[in-house]
Amino acid sequence: MNDRRRVNGPPGGTRPPVYASLLQSGTGADTRAQRQRQPTDLRKIFLKTGLIPSASGSSYLEFEPSASLAAARSNPKSLIPPSSALKLACTVHGPKPLPRSAPFSPNLVLTTHVKYAPFAARKRKGHVRDSSERDLGVHLETALRGAIIAERWPKSGLDITVTILEAEDDRWWGDVPDSHDASWGMMNVLAGCISAASAAIADAHIDCLDLVSGGVAALVSDDSTDSPSALPKLMLDTDPAEHRSIVSACVVAYMPARDEITELWLKGDSSKVSTADGDQRSGHEALIDGAVDAARGAHTVLAEAVRESLQKTLGQS
Amino acid sequence: MSNKCQCVDKPPNGLIVLALIIRGEKSEEALKRRNGTANTMATSVPSLAIPGQRLGSANTYAAGPGTHIQQTNIFASIAGPVILDPAQPNTQSKATLRVTRILSTAAQSSPAAAFAKSKPRYNTLPAVDSIVLARVTRVQKRQAAVSILVVLDETSAPNADLTKAASDNDNIASILTSAANPENHSSTDELRFQAIIRKEDVRAVEKDRVVMEDMFRVGDIVRGCVLSLGDQTSYYLTTARNDLGVVMARSEAGNMMFPVSWKEMRDPVTGAGEQRKVARPY
Amino acid sequence: MSNQRQASSASQTPHLSPAELSYLYTSLSLPKSPIRPDGRSPTQFRPLTAESNILPGTNGSARIGFADGTQAIVGVKAEVEKTVLSTDTLASSEGGEGEDSTSTSNSAAASGHGSWVQMSIEIPGFRDDDALPVFLSEMMRESLVGSVADGGSDGGGDGGGDGDVTMAGGLKGRLVINKRWHWRLYIDVLLLSQPLSYPLPLLSLTTHLALLSTKLPKLKSQGEEDPFFDDDWEVAEYLYPRSSNLKAAGNASQYVRPPVTLLVVSVGENIIFDPSREEIAVADAVLAISVTRDTEAGNLKLLSIRTVDPPSRLTQPAVPNSENVNMLGATAPTEDIAVLNPATGEEEVPGVWRPRRGGVKRSVIANMVKTVLKKGGVGEEVLEGLEGVEVE
Repeated sequence: MNDRRRVNGPPGGTRPPVYASLLQSGTGADTRAQRQRQPTDLRKIFLKTGLIPSASGSSYLEFEPSASLAAARSNPKSLIPPSSALKLACTVHGPKPLPRSAPFSPNLVLTTHVKYAPFAARKRKGHVRDSSERDLGVHLETALRGAIIAERWPKSGLDITVTILEAEDDRWWGDVPDSHDASWGMMNVLAGCISAASAAIADAHIDCLDLVSGGVAALVSDDSTDSPSALPKLMLDTDPAEHRSIVSACVVAYMPARDEITELWLKGDSSKVSTADGDQRSGHEALIDGAVDAARGAHTVLAEAVRESLQKTLGQS
Repeated sequence: MSNKCQCVDKPPNGLIVLALIIRGEKSEEALKRRNGTANTMATSVPSLAIPGQRLGSANTYAAGPGTHIQQTNIFASIAGPVILDPAQPNTQSKATLRVTRILSTAAQSSPAAAFAKSKPRYNTLPAVDSIVLARVTRVQKRQAAVSILVVLDETSAPNADLTKAASDNDNIASILTSAANPENHSSTDELRFQAIIRKEDVRAVEKDRVVMEDMFRVGDIVRGCVLSLGDQTSYYLTTARNDLGVVMARSEAGNMMFPVSWKEMRDPVTGAGEQRKVARPY
Repeated sequence: MSNQRQASSASQTPHLSPAELSYLYTSLSLPKSPIRPDGRSPTQFRPLTAESNILPGTNGSARIGFADGTQAIVGVKAEVEKTVLSTDTLASSEGGEGEDSTSTSNSAAASGHGSWVQMSIEIPGFRDDDALPVFLSEMMRESLVGSVADGGSDGGGDGGGDGDVTMAGGLKGRLVINKRWHWRLYIDVLLLSQPLSYPLPLLSLTTHLALLSTKLPKLKSQGEEDPFFDDDWEVAEYLYPRSSNLKAAGNASQYVRPPVTLLVVSVGENIIFDPSREEIAVADAVLAISVTRDTEAGNLKLLSIRTVDPPSRLTQPAVPNSENVNMLGATAPTEDIAVLNPATGEEEVPGVWRPRRGGVKRSVIANMVKTVLKKGGVGEEVLEGLEGVEVE
């Protein structure tokens, strides 16, 4: 993971500041945003294709900011935003010839790059992709490769680049930077990347089986007031900033037309879940089904966006 | 910042905002319902399709470009207008459903017969027998290297007026003028498909007396026909037909030349002639 | 460059002809009884030789060699690092005593932090920032640090400062020395030759063994002092405590084991474990499933699932006789009748290979996970097998 071309300063030498208000109020529980949505409510998605003329396909995706975030932005009181809202742009270049050194390929060769803008998250990201960004790239590639019909584009390559302008953070900014440290925000980012890339590929007129869309579901145990034995609850489209403790989460890339999953990433302890009576599913199955439901929701936005841009192009010509 | 938020709340034209509420319905049921509704509409083919949309049954129609078959149903695989090509009357074949990536209205109305006699095209890449326009990048003793600028659509290839040719490369005229401009050379070659014209593929007669330097010069725009997909790097082109060869070239003085015979072009300013393998002008 | 480009898909395209692929697929997808090229049963692993504690300079190490000659060595080193103070600790130090109650369960000083475990994988032929090593190390690290033994209510109370041998906070909690100091664990994986198959099973099993043999020196300092340790290796404590070393033998945590990541593929209706290079080349779906043993019942617990891009999507398609110009007139045209493949839902001519496309059904995923987790299933078998190694 070394940058081989530049001389960098020592990594990790700096830390985001600690605010005094948090010290006084313990963990600042009173200012923390709470989830206002129902467990099965999804955030609104803004998606538009064809915004970057030099690319053969492009899209821009934005998640609706939570109610508390919208309020905080219009009337800022604290430096600590209650949550963050995902914003990302995706470009597709190609099909273009493979580099001279590449061997003959009967199929379309996908390359995916996922890059956080340096200012995307609370902790600054460098200009060189770090391991989590490379990891996201592999996940995205797996998700898309299952959806495209690669054999229709022999001997050519497709470059997919996702730039994350504002990332979903792994935790609330007011929380300790080290608390519940698993990268839950990354999973939301991946779901956004999948939906956006799918729209951009459709915009580039590359054959695919279906518009593949991303969805996230998580098991959350929030209520500190309840008894500690309370089982975690299943929530769709979780914003990590709104939850004190996420136990496990799952992201899928899903094709509704075939009822198939092209990418599945599940982590955390999914053994305990409070399910409805008579629900025989185990925790991980409930998680996957929840993520699929969230992806189904994203798919309706995706389909509408692709159809709209198609109608617009037809109207112009 | 706050402006950004506003745009979600009050969408201007063309922005899509959807509120999504999922009621925990069992997904299989949902799927069943989808298929159910699809079956009732089996007789009507939608006019516009997006990837993954069911177009019809594979028992009724044949799948053309832009579609794929899944569980005996035809699904769209690209976004675009759906076109139904009627079956040939004297054969027993089924009517073909295809989704076109040609978005202009003129191309949509192009007769289906023109499509039927050519091979169906599944992509916009150069394929065997496609006519391409390419710029010469290097001339060697045994071959000339070219980079492909445009794949001409077969339906529009006989059309004399190149600017009317409707394809993904919608503006051929602008591509050609920018490609013929020496300033633009070499900058975008990485992004174009490379091809080779071998010495024996330059012309149909007197193949053994071909001198490559008298056929092509670097910077010429050549109309060629794809012989094969070639090796891992290059396609193979031929210009061994009357209508194939150099279509645009500059003289040593740097002026655009006009063709005077099948093997000579002339500079209108200096009057000097240069040798080329010239394509028959329409 | 070209090699790496292909490898970036976390898979390598095998050099098999379409005819070979089709033959493999047909024999592996035979209902109920797949025939594997090496004659194994679907859940059988390849034979391997293993030894642990082979490197004297490490806290724990292991080596595993497969019969095909590929070997992996894992060394685990533990070093002491100062914990970056969190707001909780700052708050309590400012307010004197401070109310140090439930909030500590959130703080890194009590429950540990995932970044304290560092994993690097060295595979010959790959740069360390290529996609495959990055993907593999993230996959294995996330199951390691994610294996919190007991839900959300872990590590609470006194911050685990007394070095008690329990795994209440999982591996992360085990690394806490006191509020200001912790262990940092370096897991370095070395593959000794270019991988002949997807290297995940080899790397995961070796890492598991190395972690099992890892010992941390015994702490001699008390409470919040700067830590110092006993240099007697005999009294050093295992990172993952063992039942034989525990005084309280009834302790449930004796079952805690490092996680194991299993590579599972589905071919047609069949589910196959530890696929060889040829088998993974025709797989419809590839999953990496990480499991560990639960503290309470001794059951297996799921830690993570990741899909791996199946290389079958990159393979070359075959041409059926009806479309092959060379075979014109050689066969009757009626011989090629496309039939519906129930696994993929696509029309295929039998014996003619088509690259896979599309994803995997949820029922198949559920089935794969069940085969790993069920009592007496493959997961338990693997863990038992590895237990046999460390006894020696």
